[in-house]
Amino acid sequence: SLERNHSFQLLLRFNSIRFYKYEYRFQWNWITIFFSFIYWNTDFDGFQKKAIQMVKPAKGTTTLAFIFKEGVMVAADSRASMGGYISSQSVKKIIEINPYMLGTMAGGAADCQFWHRNLGIKCRLHELANKRRISVTGASKLLANILYSYRGMGLSVGTMIAGWDETGPGLYYVDSEGGRLKGTRFSVGSGSPYAYGVLDNGYRYDMSIEEAAELARRSIYHATFRDGASGGVASVYYVGPNGWKKLSGDDVGELHYMYYPVVPSTVEQEMAEVPGA
Amino acid sequence: MSFVQYNGSALVAMTGKNCFAVASNRHLGVQHQTVATDFQRVFKIHEKLYIGLAGSASDVQTLHELLDNRHKFYQLQQERDMKPEAFANIVSQILYKKKSAPYVCQPVIAGLGDDDKPFICTMDSFGAKKLAKDFVVAGTASKSLYGACEAMYKSDMEPDELLETVSQALQASVGRDCLSGWSGLVFLVTPTEVRETILNFGAGGGPAAPVALAASGGAAAKKKKEEA
Repeated sequence: SLERNHSFQLLLRFNSIRFYKYEYRFQWNWITIFFSFIYWNTDFDGFQKKAIQMVKPAKGTTTLAFIFKEGVMVAADSRASMGGYISSQSVKKIIEINPYMLGTMAGGAADCQFWHRNLGIKCRLHELANKRRISVTGASKLLANILYSYRGMGLSVGTMIAGWDETGPGLYYVDSEGGRLKGTRFSVGSGSPYAYGVLDNGYRYDMSIEEAAELARRSIYHATFRDGASGGVASVYYVGPNGWKKLSGDDVGELHYMYYPVVPSTVEQEMAEVPGA
Repeated sequence: MSFVQYNGSALVAMTGKNCFAVASNRHLGVQHQTVATDFQRVFKIHEKLYIGLAGSASDVQTLHELLDNRHKFYQLQQERDMKPEAFANIVSQILYKKKSAPYVCQPVIAGLGDDDKPFICTMDSFGAKKLAKDFVVAGTASKSLYGACEAMYKSDMEPDELLETVSQALQASVGRDCLSGWSGLVFLVTPTEVRETILNFGAGGGPAAPVALAASGGAAAKKKKEEA
C-alpha cells in the first residue's frame, strides 16, 4: 500500500545521525541511575531459585563404595526422609545399570533413577554400535556430560559409578554440579562423615570379599546410628570380574543389637532421679 | 530446623482402668546427629504423678528441676502431695509467665487423682492445657503418635494390656520419625505399684529385640522387674 507507516517514520526520526556518535552512547543521569538502582535491587530470577530449592532435597542418605584387591564393594542404606518424616525404609539406593555396572543414589530419587536408566540405555547402544562393552571411564563420562549440561537447573544427583571392565575395577564419583572424580574410596550423603570414619580406619587394599563386605556393612551401620536421615536396611553389593552380586541386606536395628548386645544389669541408682549436673 | 525439632522427642500418655502409662523415647539428637540413646524425659514428681517433657533438652532439664523444686516446697508447706490437676495448673502458670521468652518444651502430665482416677493432660510451650480422657501425645513424632494411638486405644484397659498398647504405639510412630528413636522408656502406674520398662528397638523402630529390662530401688510403691 502507499500510505505512510507512522511508526516507521518515528523509527527513522529516532535513528538520526546524532545518536550514533559515541559520546551520546551512555550517560549517568537521573533516568539511568533510577533504572540501575531498580536493576541491582530486584531479584528477577528469585522465583526460579525458590523453585529449585523447593525441589532439591537434602541428600539425606549414606552410600559408599571402595575398590580393593578383589573388586569393588558398594553399600547403601535405604531410608527416604522428607525433613523429619520418614517416607520410606525400603528404598533401593543401589541401581543396577547393567549386569557389570552399579550406580548409587543420593540426592533426588527421581533424578538418580531416571538418569541411571538413561545411562544404561546409552551403554547398551554403545555395546551394539562398537561390539564391545563400554568402560567405566566412558560410562561415567557420558553421565557427567549430561549432568553438566543441566547444571544450575535444579537436578540433585550425587552418584558413584562402580563397575568392572577390561582394565579391572573402576570407581567414579559424579555429581549434578558437573564434577567427576576417579578414586578408590568414596562416601556420599548426609551420613558420609560417619561412614568415612569407620571406612578409612578399617580399609586395607588386600582384604578378602567377606572382610570387605563386613567393613562396608559396619560403616553403613555406624552412619545410620549417628545420622537421623539414614536408616532402614544396609545393603552390600560386590562387583567382580563376572559382574555384580548382592551379598547382604540387613536391618540396621538388628545390626545394632548384634554388634552391641544389651547386657541386663542391675541399676543401683534411682532411674527417676537425674544425677546432679 | 526450628528449635522445637532441634533435639527430637516422642512422648505419649495413655489411661487405663485406674492406671496410666507414660512413655518416651530415650534418644537425644542435635538436628540429625544422634548424641545419646539414654536420655531421660519422663520424671517422677511423686508416687502418683509423672511428668514427661518434650522439646529442647536443656529446657527439659531446667523445667524438671524447677517443677521438682516447686513440688518439694509444696510438700513441706502442705504436708501432702499435690493433686495432678493442681500441678497441671502450676506448670501452665510457669510456662505462661515466660511467654515473651518461652521454654521450648511441651509437657505431658499424668497422674492418679481422687479415687485413683487417672488424669492426663498436655500443653504447648505457652501453657495452654489440653485435657483428654484417652491419650495425649507430644514431640516431633506427635503426628504419627496420634495416628497410632487412635488406632490402638481401647477404653478401660488392664495394666498389662495398657503397657503393651503404649509400647506398640511408641514403637510404630518412632519408626516414622528421623529425629527420635533408639529405645523407649515406659512408666506404668497403678494405685499399688509402678512398673518401669525399657524397650529396645532399632532406629526406625524396626523388628525390635523386645528385651525389656527394668529395675530400680524405690520408695513406698512396690516396683516390679519386668521381662516384656
